[in-house]
Amino acid sequence: MNRITYLLAHILLGVLAFLVFTRVAPGPLFSAFQLLFFILSITLIIWRGINIGWRNWAWLILLIPVVNVGFLLFAPSKERFPKRNFIEITPDRSTTVDDVRLVRWNLARNSVRTILLSVSILIAFLLFGVLVSFNVAITDVRTAPNRMVTLSKINFTESLPIAYFDRVLHTDGVLAATHMNWFGGYYQDQRRGFMAVFAVDPDSYLRVYQDDLHLTPQARETFLHERTALLVPRNIADRYHWRVGQHIPINSNIFTNGTNGSHVWDFTIAGIFETPDGNSQANSVLIRYDYFNDTITFGRDRIGWISFLTTSATVNDRVAHAIDTRFANSQDETSTQDAAAFNRSFAAQLGNIALVVTLVVGAAFAAILLIVGTTMALAVRERTKEVGVLKTLGFSSGRILRMVLGESMLLSLIGATLGLLAAAGVLYILSHLNGGGGGGFHLYPSVIGISAAIAIALGLVTGILPALSAYRMNIIEALGRR
Amino acid sequence: MASLFKQISAVTSMNVRSIPQRAAMSIASVVAVALAISVLLFFLALGHGLSQTVQGSGANDVAIVLRDGAGAELNSVVTRDQLNIIAQAPGVVRRGQAPIISGELLVIVDGNKRSTNTNANMPFRGIGPEGLSLRHNVHIVQGRMFRPGTNEIVVGAGLLREFSGFEFGRTIRLRGTTWQVVGVFEAPGTVFDSELWADVAVTQSLFNRPNVYQTMRVQMTSPAAVQTLKRFVHDDPRLQLQVLSEREYYAQQASQSTGQFTIIAWFLGVVMAIGALAGALNTMYASVAARSAEIATLRIIGFSGYAAFFGTMVEALMLSALGGVLGLVISFIAFNGRSTSTLSSGFTQLVFRFELSPGIIVSAIIVAVIIGLFGGFLPGIRAARVRPQLELAAQ
Amino acid sequence: MTDLIRLTDVEKTYTRGKEKIAIFERLSMRIEQGDFLALMGPSGSGKTTLLNLLGGTDRATRGTIEFDGKRIDKLSEGQLTNWRAQNVGFIFQFYNLMPILTAAQNVELPLLLTNLSPKKRRENVATALNIVGLSDRARHKPREMSGGQQQRVAIARAIVADPKLLLCDEPTGDLDRTTADEVLGTLQLLNRDLGKTIVMVTHDAAAAKFAKRTLHLDKGHFVASELAA
Repeated sequence: MNRITYLLAHILLGVLAFLVFTRVAPGPLFSAFQLLFFILSITLIIWRGINIGWRNWAWLILLIPVVNVGFLLFAPSKERFPKRNFIEITPDRSTTVDDVRLVRWNLARNSVRTILLSVSILIAFLLFGVLVSFNVAITDVRTAPNRMVTLSKINFTESLPIAYFDRVLHTDGVLAATHMNWFGGYYQDQRRGFMAVFAVDPDSYLRVYQDDLHLTPQARETFLHERTALLVPRNIADRYHWRVGQHIPINSNIFTNGTNGSHVWDFTIAGIFETPDGNSQANSVLIRYDYFNDTITFGRDRIGWISFLTTSATVNDRVAHAIDTRFANSQDETSTQDAAAFNRSFAAQLGNIALVVTLVVGAAFAAILLIVGTTMALAVRERTKEVGVLKTLGFSSGRILRMVLGESMLLSLIGATLGLLAAAGVLYILSHLNGGGGGGFHLYPSVIGISAAIAIALGLVTGILPALSAYRMNIIEALGRR
Repeated sequence: MASLFKQISAVTSMNVRSIPQRAAMSIASVVAVALAISVLLFFLALGHGLSQTVQGSGANDVAIVLRDGAGAELNSVVTRDQLNIIAQAPGVVRRGQAPIISGELLVIVDGNKRSTNTNANMPFRGIGPEGLSLRHNVHIVQGRMFRPGTNEIVVGAGLLREFSGFEFGRTIRLRGTTWQVVGVFEAPGTVFDSELWADVAVTQSLFNRPNVYQTMRVQMTSPAAVQTLKRFVHDDPRLQLQVLSEREYYAQQASQSTGQFTIIAWFLGVVMAIGALAGALNTMYASVAARSAEIATLRIIGFSGYAAFFGTMVEALMLSALGGVLGLVISFIAFNGRSTSTLSSGFTQLVFRFELSPGIIVSAIIVAVIIGLFGGFLPGIRAARVRPQLELAAQ
Repeated sequence: MTDLIRLTDVEKTYTRGKEKIAIFERLSMRIEQGDFLALMGPSGSGKTTLLNLLGGTDRATRGTIEFDGKRIDKLSEGQLTNWRAQNVGFIFQFYNLMPILTAAQNVELPLLLTNLSPKKRRENVATALNIVGLSDRARHKPREMSGGQQQRVAIARAIVADPKLLLCDEPTGDLDRTTADEVLGTLQLLNRDLGKTIVMVTHDAAAAKFAKRTLHLDKGHFVASELAA
């Protein structure tokens, strides 16, 4: 996980929580929220099986006391944060009353209704969290802006002559290049054991992808020198309980092994690596090109595609043009583009997922907008008389408007929090059902941030009409006397 | 019994007539049900349309031969020698001396998806001279068939609908050579409708795969003859091949690709239905609360608790059924019959139509009714428990 | 004695549909500090409207209303709301307590409009409940109390912020004789011992006897005035 994104998201949410909970439930509940968020973050990191490094762990562990001490320092006054019961949503007979409690107790008075509304809001945020995270996971593969790829112009499944590699490598503006072949690999079972196995040139691969793979020096050495070496990502190694040094047979559904006439190759695990979050190499299993090329029965001395880095993203277009012109009108014409664009266009082939996600999430939110909006209107209508009494007692219309808005906002935040927790759970189950092969799904910080914004907007939209009607309510009519 | 029925109908008609008083909430829950049903139908129709197209592609008296363990066409390899052996197998239909077989090579070429203007993988199939006669439902609707040995292509009508770049009469550059689109064929409701076809020998040489096929299709005398061919291949050690009837092959492919859509449909559908159910329960509780004075009055007069219960149930069922019907209407207007495409198991685009089946419609109605039943049950019990007390009636 | 309230030439008209209904045309009256006034009259005579005008929950069409020497008819809606919070306590026929709050919490509500600390608020609430004799009921909810008790909670709520004026709209209309007398006794006590000025609308002649004087309204005019014995 990108540390900066992570920290920004955490701090943003912290501030948001601060603003919301100092109004609604200051003190211990705020800390509890912080703690919950902290635990959630750590759980996500552990789920993903990412080594984020000790610095980031230190950041995370420091964050809670820092934010909470900051909270204590900048808290307006002790008066506003008296000691309270931990989570106090139901009316407590022994305490004094205030606006914030009145909001919460109003919400609690019809508990069946509140639970039902929370469930429907939960559902919308569950769908939002799951679907948007899913969409982000398949479309937003992070690559460096100067990373490019040269493929056959016909299609990515067509191969290129190996001679092209040197020519690309020596093109002006190319910093480093490597080539890769799709192996069509699987372990034991063709469907369940499918994995993305690539035959790569170890030396150049590790140079081009040096920041993408966290590899021990020993694993690197072995992969550079052992012909049958195999590099496996952590999630796949964990799934099959593989250890370094173990011999593993991998099948190919394309190639035949000339040495034994079968579709099986034997490998020795040289290392188990980890990748930063959302990395393009996240689920790649790596084998050596020389071993692959010497043993296959057809398609020898051809490479799948060339992946390279330019000296700077500004020369991308020039380099792409130079390469493609170089091979124009040959048997194997090429198409060179930046890696991010290639990934995006590949994901786009599944269909317009973003549109489908937008439609489904839109449908869910349209439904709850109607349900929550009409119910809030009913709730305020039922309380007409009480609004009248409060106004008679001298509560200003603005204050009553804020109380109604606070109620819809609190409801929306409760639903959103529960929904995102449920989404995290569903994504966890989904990524495990998938066996980690198709990429682990998880709740992205950006999704959490957007959800918080949507929750606030939802609270405002559903509450604003009832709040305005309470605001405008005439005392005499409200009390039904004239 | 008759009296209870009368009571129920009386209470129900009173409930229904009072719905307009709770119009906003009732509409909200109808719409929520409708949206949930639409989402369910969307993915079910997607999966069904896809599965119909893939399954509809296979005949049961045509055998398809793949490399053993290949699983799909793209990974398969069949050599010329193997092709020649199978051509002599028993049960193969012959026209004069020549067996009706077609060695085929499927490669991927780039096309452009019209709706999003993005690159897409088009299946480009080299077929043998008998390739057309092996596919029964295919006919040329514009232009003519390609001539063997030339760089000519015919294009599927479905592909033309969704993708640009292969229009009739157009010349296309592939591998440094020019190809001409000389015809458009229709293969309605099959995967072939989204393919490009050319002569297999030309395809082999231009894509640098001399004498290599991926699959071969064989016209057998009868469905039973496919079994004979299976045994024939099994008994010959030179043939590390797998024989399936075309229908078996496509049924396998269909189950792979549509299973996901069915899972997505039910996951999203059920999740949204739970949301809609929460909305329906909410509406019905509000309805019972609003009518409690009325119910208490009826109970004092002598109506039974059952009448109050069933009255509430019927109201809930009516709202959810209305939602279900609205959901169906949305589906028919918004997407049923619409053409779309996705990446098939062979990494190429497959064009198909959203298709609602009677089974799908029935299951959507069942979901709507279940929402209504659950949505009316608990509030119904609350209604039945309203006691016949004067002070309640007076409120 | 000084005048707490002075109404001069007050006119009040309503438009109901296209029809204009005049409640008062030229009503003038004075209420002295420390008065306990009962307003009687048939339905539609304008008693409740008068009460609304006095409490600033409704506005006169024309004329001036002074409270403690200040023109309240000139105040903006927001100023009027503040003024009400500081100077007026209301007691309703149907008590109008918040069902979700306990007696103590209900009484505390007007104190939220002050800047008292929770501790101080609690003390004031205890005092107010003590005055109406309900200290032992502080933690009960309205539903758990009798009508008389609820009305006494409402009285406590009305006096907790120490307003000068108490406005009562049929405070005993929903109570039986004995309970009503208890409640009225409490009001009398507030008037006599704490010097609260009270204006009470009632239908009940027996209730009016607890007041210092009674005004009879009919069709927007005072038709009779009597002092208590």
